Amino acid sequence: MDGKEALDFGASSDFPSLLRQKDLLGPAAQIGPINKRAEIMPTESTTILAFKFSDGVLVAGDRRATSGNTVVYDRADKVLEIDRHSIMAIAGVPATAWEMARVLEHSFQFFRRTQLQEMSVDGKVRALSKLLRDNFGFALQGIGIVVPIFATYDVKVSPSARLYFYDAMGAQFEATDFAATGSGSPAVRGILYYENTWGKKPLQKISQDEAVVVALRALDTASEADTATGGIDRHAKIFPVMKIVSADGILTLAEEKIAELFHERVA
Amino acid sequence: MIEEPYRWVEAIATRRDYIEMQLATGSPVVALGYREGILLLTVGQQKLFEIYDRIALGAIGHPGDIERLRMAAIELASTEGFTRAAADVSLRRLAYYSLSPVMKNAFEQIYGAPFLARLLFVEIGTSPAGDLFLEVEYDGAINLHSSDGSNTPFAVLAATKKSAEQMAEFLRKRFQSGKDLSATLELALDAWAVGQSKTDEAMPGEDDIRRQRSERLGSGTVAAAVLERNANRAVRYRAVEASELAPLIAK
Repeated sequence: MDGKEALDFGASSDFPSLLRQKDLLGPAAQIGPINKRAEIMPTESTTILAFKFSDGVLVAGDRRATSGNTVVYDRADKVLEIDRHSIMAIAGVPATAWEMARVLEHSFQFFRRTQLQEMSVDGKVRALSKLLRDNFGFALQGIGIVVPIFATYDVKVSPSARLYFYDAMGAQFEATDFAATGSGSPAVRGILYYENTWGKKPLQKISQDEAVVVALRALDTASEADTATGGIDRHAKIFPVMKIVSADGILTLAEEKIAELFHERVA
Repeated sequence: MIEEPYRWVEAIATRRDYIEMQLATGSPVVALGYREGILLLTVGQQKLFEIYDRIALGAIGHPGDIERLRMAAIELASTEGFTRAAADVSLRRLAYYSLSPVMKNAFEQIYGAPFLARLLFVEIGTSPAGDLFLEVEYDGAINLHSSDGSNTPFAVLAATKKSAEQMAEFLRKRFQSGKDLSATLELALDAWAVGQSKTDEAMPGEDDIRRQRSERLGSGTVAAAVLERNANRAVRYRAVEASELAPLIAK
């Protein structure tokens, strides 16, 4: 906080550009000439998924963080609360992803405080897209790729649950029923598609308990073939992180609750 | 001729009169500690604002100047909170280091425009003893009341010094700690009415306050916001909605 400079500002309502102006955000990577022989970008080693169910959107993520073949951490939290009604789940490089989540969280609050109104859902979705686009140089260099899912609840429209997934360049896609990203996502996408189409009920009609069971089974399946996905650690009793966005806000499911459903219907 | 020291002092005095005149019609702002936190109240246009997780602002003055100062405070707090942590955002530092010197400077640069604004910042602590009430004058002067567990966790902002003194005197007599939101709103409205009464008269009595209050309330809407101590969320600021306000205020 520099006293003299303090009041020397434009009426900025964009938090990332304010940070950049004050030199508090790392420099954007330059997009240089594409080296055709460059190594293929590393995959996003994780599995995150989200789907709409009867109460709102359930977002779940495994807990494993890897570096190459090494498991670095088995209690990573990849499902992050951004504000009272928004969740960002991250697949990709943790350093970049967590920083992005922090910028996003502050951006929404900064907007509310300065503009005296909540940022619209479209504005929030775009804000994340812009962060990804700004990061594209790093993604291209293979050192900072992030592929998130964004789930939120729009109280102004009906149906209110909204779910988006992104590509590394910042393109946003609205999902009608479910989304999954990360290295274990092909299996998860298969399961969710199957459940939604031929299951007893479409995903949007299932209860909260049923939703938790579907998410647990999907993550367990993903971890079966994908070493970068932690799934459920039966020995250390580590369960996926699950959060629900609904009209009431965000609910983080208690580990005991997940454990109970796991033992009853998954194990 | 401004170079002569005497002229400068004179110019500053004139400027002070001018600003006081500009602020003379402002609607008072009252900040009161209550059982669950701190209440901010005023009547009229929107001038209670969220600055950061634990900091709120009430103001009197020109909307354009209030807006510039408010934006500066939000930008400073937000960048600090982002680069470090929310707990490192300090109201003291924001006021003493960032806002006060700039306001003092603008006030004393007599060829430039001063800020036509009086600010009241409130910061909620983990316990009542950690609450902070801080006023910043248009000339950069700061009046800080840390509540320190004493029985005076309140602060006021009024159009004139005399009004502010009367409001403070009224609150010193009437304020009791540990009241609920409804009782505190009542007291805040009474204090607001005291701040609106003519200052050349003696302190109005109980009936006068009530009468003035209902007369003046007719022409404006009550705006209230709270900083809640035990909110489960990081953001402690909450605007009290009109629908929530109506049943709490006795007619």
